[in-house]
Amino acid sequence: MKMNGKIASLLALGFLIISCESDDNSVDLPKGEYDNGILISNEGAFSGGTGTINYISDDYSTMESEVYKKVNNEDLGTIVQSIGFNDDEAYIIANVSNKISIVNRNTFEKLGEITTGLNNPRYFAVSNGKGYVSNWGDTADENDDYIAIINLSSFAIEGTIPVVLGPEKLLGENNVLYVAHSGAYGTNNKVSVINTITNELSSTIEVGDVPNSMQIEDGYLWVLASGKPNYIPGVEETGGVLSKINTRDYSDIVNYTFGVTEHPGSLGLDDDEFYYGLGGSIYKMDIEDTELPTSAYIENISYYNMTIHDDKMYVTDAKDYASNGSVSIYDLETKELEQTFDVGLIPGGVYFN
Amino acid sequence: MVHNKFLFFSLCFFTVLFSYAQRDSVVVLDEVVLTDAKLSQFSVGNKKQVLKDSVLSKSQSFTDLLRYNSTIYFKENGYGMVSSPSFRGTNAQQTAVIWNGININSQLNGQTDFNTVVTSNYNNVTIKSGGGSVQYGSGAIGGSIHLNSTFNFKEHLDNEVRIGYGSFNTQSTNYKLSLGSKKFSLDLGVNYNSSNNDYKYLGTDQKNENGAYENGNVDLSLGYLISDNNILKLYHNTYLGSRDFSGTLLVKSNENYKNTNVRTMLEWSNFNDKKISRLKLAHLYERYRYYANKDRPEYAFGYANSYLFNYDYKYTFSNVILNGIVDHNYTDVIGRNIEESNRSITSLSILMQHKLSSKFKYTFNVRKDYTEDFSSPFLFVFNGDYSFSNIYNITLSASKNYRIPTFNDMYWVGAGNKDLVPETSKQVEIGNYFKFKNIQFNVLGYYTKLSEMIQWRPISGEGWIPVNVKDVTQYGAEAEVAVTKQIGKSKLVWLTNYAYTKSIDDSNDKQLMYVPLHKVTSNLAFSYKKIEAYMQLLRNGLVYTTTDSSRELPGYTVANLGMNYEVVKTSKNTTSLGLRINNLFNKEYQNTAFRPMPNRNLMVQLTTKF
Repeated sequence: MKMNGKIASLLALGFLIISCESDDNSVDLPKGEYDNGILISNEGAFSGGTGTINYISDDYSTMESEVYKKVNNEDLGTIVQSIGFNDDEAYIIANVSNKISIVNRNTFEKLGEITTGLNNPRYFAVSNGKGYVSNWGDTADENDDYIAIINLSSFAIEGTIPVVLGPEKLLGENNVLYVAHSGAYGTNNKVSVINTITNELSSTIEVGDVPNSMQIEDGYLWVLASGKPNYIPGVEETGGVLSKINTRDYSDIVNYTFGVTEHPGSLGLDDDEFYYGLGGSIYKMDIEDTELPTSAYIENISYYNMTIHDDKMYVTDAKDYASNGSVSIYDLETKELEQTFDVGLIPGGVYFN
Repeated sequence: MVHNKFLFFSLCFFTVLFSYAQRDSVVVLDEVVLTDAKLSQFSVGNKKQVLKDSVLSKSQSFTDLLRYNSTIYFKENGYGMVSSPSFRGTNAQQTAVIWNGININSQLNGQTDFNTVVTSNYNNVTIKSGGGSVQYGSGAIGGSIHLNSTFNFKEHLDNEVRIGYGSFNTQSTNYKLSLGSKKFSLDLGVNYNSSNNDYKYLGTDQKNENGAYENGNVDLSLGYLISDNNILKLYHNTYLGSRDFSGTLLVKSNENYKNTNVRTMLEWSNFNDKKISRLKLAHLYERYRYYANKDRPEYAFGYANSYLFNYDYKYTFSNVILNGIVDHNYTDVIGRNIEESNRSITSLSILMQHKLSSKFKYTFNVRKDYTEDFSSPFLFVFNGDYSFSNIYNITLSASKNYRIPTFNDMYWVGAGNKDLVPETSKQVEIGNYFKFKNIQFNVLGYYTKLSEMIQWRPISGEGWIPVNVKDVTQYGAEAEVAVTKQIGKSKLVWLTNYAYTKSIDDSNDKQLMYVPLHKVTSNLAFSYKKIEAYMQLLRNGLVYTTTDSSRELPGYTVANLGMNYEVVKTSKNTTSLGLRINNLFNKEYQNTAFRPMPNRNLMVQLTTKF
């Protein structure tokens, strides 16, 4: 990946801003047009379209669509799966296009792109000063899945770490990367623990079937698995599992199991309260609770993606998957719907600037 | 049952008609020789556009033929790739392709990929607008495209060789043999087409990198006049194709798709001047293999075998033609993602044409299918044709048509929905046809109500499954003008089609995706002595690419220019040289989002008949 002078200076500027920020958090000047707001990643049409990004200001007064295209006059690629962040840089992953576009998260100016070494890329996380991207590999091959290691200053792929089937969500800590293996087009029930000093697999944790989200808090890794659905041929349906894992030695795993036909997802954490979605409702569970909640916290919420952030819940709706979707913002305290915005095609991710 | 009562009254009505009918002699031989004579006899209210050799030879593919000569819109995943029609605002499964009178839409996905049919060996391709499910079965909703083979019971022996070469290493080799006597007729066509198809994506530095295709095709029609009252006909078509599937502007592809179609039909007709009794036996075989990554051995596949039995009895009174048909279709399918399954459908149809006077005739056709898989609606069509004078006809058609759930819809592993019901469509159409010495033109209007449209949707807890989900209202107008003028040795033929199409989703009042509001085709051909020049012009209005009309593809105008020169013309040999420039103005356009169509390209063609 080549970097020109402009990009280098932008990067340098970025670092300066970061260092300023870390000095003093009380002064919150916007660092670009898209600071102080919410970013929505829209997957776009699978049949060959492009994903897009929407920006909604924190005060809901402005919304812009196709932000990346507006700034850079190009398309992101087909199926924008997710966005990962490294300080002020956003790594926007186009799954089917096998491409990552790197932008300044506040201005959306393009800093670079990664177009080689990716094969069905899914999610991005940072650990120990390096970027990591989960890749399914060729979906016909169950043994070629890997984690790509990205040099955060050159945007080059420096190496790969082979992992078991279907690496999906990533969670980066200081020197550890957690990889949830949902199983790609099949199913899996593992979390890989990768030592990011050696870039080697240090441990494999067995969790529920199809782990879909992870949270880490007070030395415990929490993994929510949805269980196997009832519609995959030859696969017996299993219920979801919430696993609490001690990160010192990954022992003493506590599993909270759901009913066989219950398939929870989207584990969020806010003020020591977990939130997750299940069967058209949102459930709430205190981090100290020793049992799963029996009644819903908010009912009648169907979502494509649900994200919890700062006392708010962001629920996306993909509608018929062939028209603009929406994002609805709820106050977690009052459970009231605050605002609904029409966004792009299949809104799959909500992020915060 | 209302339907049964209805049938009973219909029968009583016919009985009354018969008693008054006077018998007249009819030349039946011409009719039994003709492929699918019912097309004109029992669909008098629908527009039928017949494309013959002079038009067929000017097109590189079935898609191109219809794209430049009809009001049908095509969505093509890159040139030569999967090609899906939208006829009168319907979707690909609501257009039926009829091969010598039988429906050949895929049993697996319910549609015909128009880039997997080679048309050059057919006697004619007829485009019938509007519903025709009574005669042509599932999917004849927007309209039907009829491929009709040739039989020629005359002493003759004709050979034709046509070789073409063009841009992107496009090659086309065709051979046709036609021979016959008073008793015997044989027509054979063999074709091979291939192309690297690596055209430029205009406005970018990309190419159509993975779009190569090749196909081989054989058509055979064999007729034998056993006696003055018996004729035996055999039809056969084999198509083998392999295509690398193009990527998009944003995704590189390494896909490949291979498919095979084999169709065979034996037809025996026993006839005299009053009746034709016809027995048809047919076997249709389709198979595909899809390689998501052609460098790997894994592929998805599906195949289907259909066996058809069809008995047809037609009786002609002086002014009434009555036709009863019993049809039985057994199909079994299997695939990587499809349960091994089979289905039997028996259908009964009664077709009637009544000529009240020399000015007015009408037809009334009914059909009912019987199957255990789903409940099938009672279908009908009423057609009327009234001539005010030699120059002006008015037609009317009212029909109910259907599209049955496909095997994919019902038996897809883990998703098939066995509770689906057929889509139904109720239509009315009025046509005005004018005929002058050098000009013919027609103006039509139609209104269609489509119910229970089947779409694949994500259903909570069930994944993506097909459901009867949508109602659609379609209405529009079509106009066609044909000008023919001959002065001395020069001849001018100018054909123009226009369609205005509204296809509205009842749930949100938006135009359906990939249905242009306006489409115009205009073809001008001029010949003088040994030279012919022609121009094909296509104007497509914008189409929406989302169901809420939030995204669109712009409209475009594309033109092709061609020339033919007769190098040799003797009684034994005619040889001509042709040149064709596609996309003359090098227009950048897409008919499917993110899938550019070819830049300007050339094709040279040598045809010799002996």
